[in-house]
Amino acid sequence: MHMPPDRRCRSLVAIPAYNEAATIRGVVDRVRADLPDCDVLVVNDGSDDETAAALPGSGAIVAGHLCNLGYGRAIQTAVLYAAREGYDRLITIDADGQHDPAQVRALLGEFDTGRWDILIGSRYLVGRRYDGVPLGRRLGMHLFSTLVELMAGRRIYDTTSGLKVIGRQTFAPLTRWHFIDFHAEAIVYLMRLGYRIGEFPITVAERRHGQSMYSALSHIKYPLKTMLMVVLGVVQADLTRKRPS
Amino acid sequence: MTIAGVFLGIAIGIVLLAWVVTLIRRGRLYVGYGVIFVFGTLVAMTILIVPSLLGAVTRASVALLPVPSLIIVALVIFTFLMVYVFTQITILSNRVMRLTQELAIRNAKQEGDVAPRAVEHP
Repeated sequence: MHMPPDRRCRSLVAIPAYNEAATIRGVVDRVRADLPDCDVLVVNDGSDDETAAALPGSGAIVAGHLCNLGYGRAIQTAVLYAAREGYDRLITIDADGQHDPAQVRALLGEFDTGRWDILIGSRYLVGRRYDGVPLGRRLGMHLFSTLVELMAGRRIYDTTSGLKVIGRQTFAPLTRWHFIDFHAEAIVYLMRLGYRIGEFPITVAERRHGQSMYSALSHIKYPLKTMLMVVLGVVQADLTRKRPS
Repeated sequence: MTIAGVFLGIAIGIVLLAWVVTLIRRGRLYVGYGVIFVFGTLVAMTILIVPSLLGAVTRASVALLPVPSLIIVALVIFTFLMVYVFTQITILSNRVMRLTQELAIRNAKQEGDVAPRAVEHP
């Protein structure tokens, strides 16, 4: 989104957190240190551990789900909050400490060129290969990336990245329909609606605490659900274009 | 199974698929439930269409003939009922989620604004 110089762009950094007591305070502190002009929103997604207890004194805005709704709904809560509070862009960062908030500056620099409606921090854009990724995950990345190319006409290499800059023009469509995790299905849906989605290279650190949100069973269920939602996203986007609400 | 039976089975499968897909698209059936019906129906239709598969499934179930049509009717009714039940669960679940999100946004508050601690970059 290209802003005139006299208008300050309001940015919200959203950190969805589920049982991230070990890392959440450090992530919030790093975001506040590296991005002092951004507000910070932690969406505590019904954590059972001490995540909520780690936040007093952090300066973050905390929105707590009474029960665990999942990553997609946590992001949707952040989008709803950003839309209602009049933010111009939403930056999503993982709560596990894998993303370096210092890299967000470069991401915002590219976003501010006005070429993108959503900019994804991509781990695989430089090499365009999924080296060092476990086999199951690598197959999934290939599958989703290919699916996005087939359905939307452009390849996105890192469809599951949690680091994104989301412009306010996409807030409405992102809250109008339902998504699983705001990954491939959301990308295809938005691209089919004509929004411009790009990637920008980032690096991530190894996860040191907690565990991935993907369980063993989800390696079967998740691709099936995502494939179905990608196809339905195409239908939904085409219907939305024909009958805008 | 007779040709007419196969065509009827496929027609029922298409109706079920269309209904389930519409429900998912409208957010009235959770995709996690819907995907079971979609892929289950596709598998059943594939078995019906490919005679060798139908024969293999029949032999594997130690039956002499493909399942009697009355059982198929019962299964079809049961499947449609299941979709209806899951739709009702999804509608309730969606309401709880909307309520939870709304409460989170309305109760969102800024924690004490203490200056950020010194940060050590890895």
